[in-house]
Amino acid sequence: MEQILKSVGIDIGTTTTQMVLCAIKIENFAQSWTVPSVRIVDKTLLYKSDIYFTPLKDAQTIDVVAIKKIILDAYQKAKLSPGEVDTGAVIITGEAARKENAQEIITLLSGLAGNFVVTTAGPDLEGILAGKGSGACAHSESHACTVMNVDVGGGTTNIAVFNNGDAVESACFDIGGRLIQLDVNQKITYISSKMKLLIETLGANLIVGKHADLLELKKITDTMASAIVSIAKGNYEDPIANLLITNHGLKEKFKLKGLFFSGGIADCMIEKKASIFEYGDIGVLLGKSLTQALISSELPVLIANETIRATVIGAGIHTTSISGSTINYDSGVLPLKNIPVVKLSFEEEKNSGRTRIEAIKKRLNWVVHEGVKPLIAFSITGSSHYGFDALQLLAEDIIKGLNQVVESDQPIIISVEHDMAKALGLSLRRNLSKEKPVICIDSIRVDNGDYIDIGMPIADGQVLPVIIKTLLFGY
Amino acid sequence: MKLKTSLFNQVYEFTSVKEVLAKANEEKSGDRLAGVAAETAAERVAAKVVLSHLTLEDIYKNPVVPYEEDEVTRVIYDDLNTTIYDEIKAWEVGNFREWILDENTTGDMIRRVSRGLTSEMVAAVTKLMSNLDLVYAAKKIKIKAHCNTTIGGENVLGIRLQPNHTTDNLDGIMISLMEGLSYGVGDAVIGLNPVNDTVENVMKVLKMFDAFKRKWKVPTQQCVLAHVTTQMEAIRKGAPSDLIFQSIAGSQKGNEAFGITADMLQEARELVLKQGTSTGPNVMYFETGQGSELSSDAHHGADQVTMEARCYGFAKRFKPFLVNTVVGFIGPEYLYDSKQVMRAGLEDHFMGKLTGIPMGVDACYTNHMKADQNDIENLAVLLTSAGCNYFMGIPAGDDIMLNYQCTGYHEAQTLRSLLGLKPIKEFADWMEEMGLLKEGKLTDRAGDASIFMK
Amino acid sequence: MSEASLRKIIEEVVKSYYAVNSEASPKMCTPLPMEIPSIDSDAIPDITKTTIESYFAVPFAENKDAYLNYKKSTPARVGIWRAGPRYTTETLLRFRADHAIAQDAVFTNVAEDFASNKGWVEVQTVIKEKDEYLTRPDLGRILDEHAVSTLKLNYSTPPKVLVYVSDGLSSIAVETNAYDTFKSIEMGLKAKGISVAQPFFLRYGRVPAMDHVSEIVGSEVTVVLIGERPGLATGESMSCYMIYRGKVGNNESLRTVVSNIHRNGTPAVEAGAYIADIIKRMLDEKKSGVDLKL
Repeated sequence: MEQILKSVGIDIGTTTTQMVLCAIKIENFAQSWTVPSVRIVDKTLLYKSDIYFTPLKDAQTIDVVAIKKIILDAYQKAKLSPGEVDTGAVIITGEAARKENAQEIITLLSGLAGNFVVTTAGPDLEGILAGKGSGACAHSESHACTVMNVDVGGGTTNIAVFNNGDAVESACFDIGGRLIQLDVNQKITYISSKMKLLIETLGANLIVGKHADLLELKKITDTMASAIVSIAKGNYEDPIANLLITNHGLKEKFKLKGLFFSGGIADCMIEKKASIFEYGDIGVLLGKSLTQALISSELPVLIANETIRATVIGAGIHTTSISGSTINYDSGVLPLKNIPVVKLSFEEEKNSGRTRIEAIKKRLNWVVHEGVKPLIAFSITGSSHYGFDALQLLAEDIIKGLNQVVESDQPIIISVEHDMAKALGLSLRRNLSKEKPVICIDSIRVDNGDYIDIGMPIADGQVLPVIIKTLLFGY
Repeated sequence: MKLKTSLFNQVYEFTSVKEVLAKANEEKSGDRLAGVAAETAAERVAAKVVLSHLTLEDIYKNPVVPYEEDEVTRVIYDDLNTTIYDEIKAWEVGNFREWILDENTTGDMIRRVSRGLTSEMVAAVTKLMSNLDLVYAAKKIKIKAHCNTTIGGENVLGIRLQPNHTTDNLDGIMISLMEGLSYGVGDAVIGLNPVNDTVENVMKVLKMFDAFKRKWKVPTQQCVLAHVTTQMEAIRKGAPSDLIFQSIAGSQKGNEAFGITADMLQEARELVLKQGTSTGPNVMYFETGQGSELSSDAHHGADQVTMEARCYGFAKRFKPFLVNTVVGFIGPEYLYDSKQVMRAGLEDHFMGKLTGIPMGVDACYTNHMKADQNDIENLAVLLTSAGCNYFMGIPAGDDIMLNYQCTGYHEAQTLRSLLGLKPIKEFADWMEEMGLLKEGKLTDRAGDASIFMK
Repeated sequence: MSEASLRKIIEEVVKSYYAVNSEASPKMCTPLPMEIPSIDSDAIPDITKTTIESYFAVPFAENKDAYLNYKKSTPARVGIWRAGPRYTTETLLRFRADHAIAQDAVFTNVAEDFASNKGWVEVQTVIKEKDEYLTRPDLGRILDEHAVSTLKLNYSTPPKVLVYVSDGLSSIAVETNAYDTFKSIEMGLKAKGISVAQPFFLRYGRVPAMDHVSEIVGSEVTVVLIGERPGLATGESMSCYMIYRGKVGNNESLRTVVSNIHRNGTPAVEAGAYIADIIKRMLDEKKSGVDLKL
């Protein structure tokens, strides 16, 4: 049994706006004598839009009408209507996310991108998506090693580290091709606030409205490139790199077996551009600086499968996963979006009675505060060792620990790593009123700090699509 | 025809050739389950005495399933060389045994006589043989066959590489394939028992095997052991298959349980000769096993050795490249313990060779049988001495998909070096080129699958 | 103060809370029997603790990373290296250990008090001992006279759903999984308003014995939880066979099966929850086996 899910990816970045459409093939691998086992078997790209310049009304505002036209146009070219899309992600990335009307764009696109599509992405998720789209993540898995993906775009550089197919850390830096812009006469038209700081630090002579000297600009891009090299080498104390941090840098030091570059600037690293200022910014120059810095760095630079489209492909193809195939849910409350995850550690889970209940309450209080509706996904590791009686105790403790949720009008949402959701769901319901909606899914690995979306049932209702949004690492 | 004798003054009388054949069998739990076994050890010997005095003509006239009722009997009788049969029909089974064992009787002489034998005759003489007789006699009979390479040559021991996987995961199959080749396994065939018997799956695996074979220039043949109809459909759709496989039984009813007929196999053979990827002319692969007819209630009151012999008579029509009995797979209700498995393995191999087919053996056991890996190693040594064409090769002998144990990759080189044998010529040369084999010994690269991971 | 550091503080508080609490409150038993029993530190480590997937012994592999990665995709015994042409000692012994546990699962009888400990009645087929059981599958499907009269008495009103347990080819499998699976089936059916009859244990039973049971008891749906023929190191695997209105001699294709119930397959409780759904479908559609499209 096969089913095709149509997934859309839309990336509105500092410089460019792109869309992809993908087919995610799921298949039930069960034999007639085993329990169902639905898995994703194939992901293919159906359609890639042109790469559009992100339309801006002015430096602070994205042109909503123009964006809408671009997306509708792309749908038309792909011969698809927004209603036919099952899943996917719309993300506003880099500098674009900081524009004043970013939220307005998200609201607009929610209607244009199907019923079940993610609509936000922090810089961490963006970096991970780029690394998945570029092929870095897959490389780390097939070669059983640790790799770093550096997605250098117009406004930001998103870094993600993958070990054996898992994202382990991410970071974001204000390094990009459009942070300084020029007109045809090489006169500076825009300098981002962080760049002003950098210019000041370096004592470079670059002022908005004045002609830019190539060597002065190169000073900036060389510094950016050396900051990236520092990060890749694990030299996190580099003061420039620290200055350019967007939200947070990396913590752990890694022994990298591969360093991938994606994003628009990656193209500038390999291609010979006709003119340095073809795009009216420092992108081409930054690409050249990076190439030079990497040659002498002895870093294991590898070719990415996708460069400028890495993030949008990551968003389109790699955001959706599916739950285990024996689960328990009330479809009436689906789909659910942006649910924060509250996870009990396995050590805490192994306790019982009051200790366990209190641990659940404590964890819950991290996310649920007074006046906030207690919409949370409670997550545990679970184990294949649960017997029936131990499972009943667990269910009772969860109900007691999640008392706040039980008494609210929110559904009970539980995600377990091990295959036990159907039995746990039944056990929970024994302790609840019939009307209380329960969503209990398994084979999903999430952690505190993640957010998840849960979609409408697929594969004859056997599985639920889940989008895991990792927004924060390593706290 | 005399069906009566006495031992130690006790009279034993039998009512039919079929009964004599059944009771002359060495003890098998399957014959007991079928209710056809000798009641006592003495009755068994009495049946053997009676059998030894039956002529081949007596047996010819009494097939265990009548010609009119059964396609397998018809195939065997229709293909018989009547001139040769006429020459030997007066022989008693006991004399026939001694003729085979005579030093002056050569393999070629036996192969000629084979053409005049029905399967019941083959089974009959087997029942009079001791285990060492079966080894000694089988050793004389070399049966070669050619697909892409030649199996059954002098001083050659082939191994089928069986990279089975619980879910047909391609990476999982691939690692077993790579490691097996590095141990010198896979010269007989690379053959997967699939979990999913679908055309798409068969095509996927065959294409993977084909690409690997081409990349590394491996001189062998490949096959996916799905149902014959699935394989045919895959070949029609362009799947690169060198062979067509099917499990067969010793009666029409048994074959119906497998969903096959002689015509279907003929069509399969013609298809693979026309659209397959191999040189030929031998392009069929069959598996059998004592007890399979009883398990589908298709034994017609005959014993399991005789029914097994009939499988080989049936197989012979299709000029197979490989035939092997899966000797301990079926369980203790048919072959109770290691003693019975070993006996059956030696019987099946000899019967196959006497029938004139290129016989190999899957020497194996299940976990509800009183047998273990030591027994299978014993059987493998005996069969190698008997000139068995090939065994199975599985990682450590543990088949994770079929849930049984048989000979492992490590047995290949052990058996070859022990008895001065080599892989099939082209494959041995390939191993030397790959630096896996040097002066008959495995090199440090052998056992490292990652030499193929580039 | 950043969120991260705030949480760190909360974590510390939580930790200290546990530290105090665990001393103050009476020691509670761990509900999960997952603790590895502690053994003397001078004992030789348990060789069966290493998963086959993670065991690797090729000394100078040309590409160890890729090898290990391939190994993740299969439980086959690859990457085990050799001693001359033979197996290394550890591979040999591991194989023997895995075979031993499988053999023990087959040749050991289910404990005498297995049924009574759970308040279940024990009955038997006409088979008298293990050897006969293994060689006479035809007899393992017939209940003896005592069993027939006991069941007739205990189930005088034909139940809608009858679940029973039988040893089959693995005693360990039913001892480990049958209770949890049964309780989970019962919970699942109860949630759908369907009651389940009290189970019993049938010694020396083969799968088709369920047809005899169906005829004796008159149950609408009959379910047997039965030990599977063990594979290497998988002696704990149990199957569940279900039939709608079973009759002696009915076609095997009328049975619905869920197999591979064990810790490393489908865990017992989870399987039970799934089986309850199937039983409900059988009752609704009044059929089982190939006729019931799952």
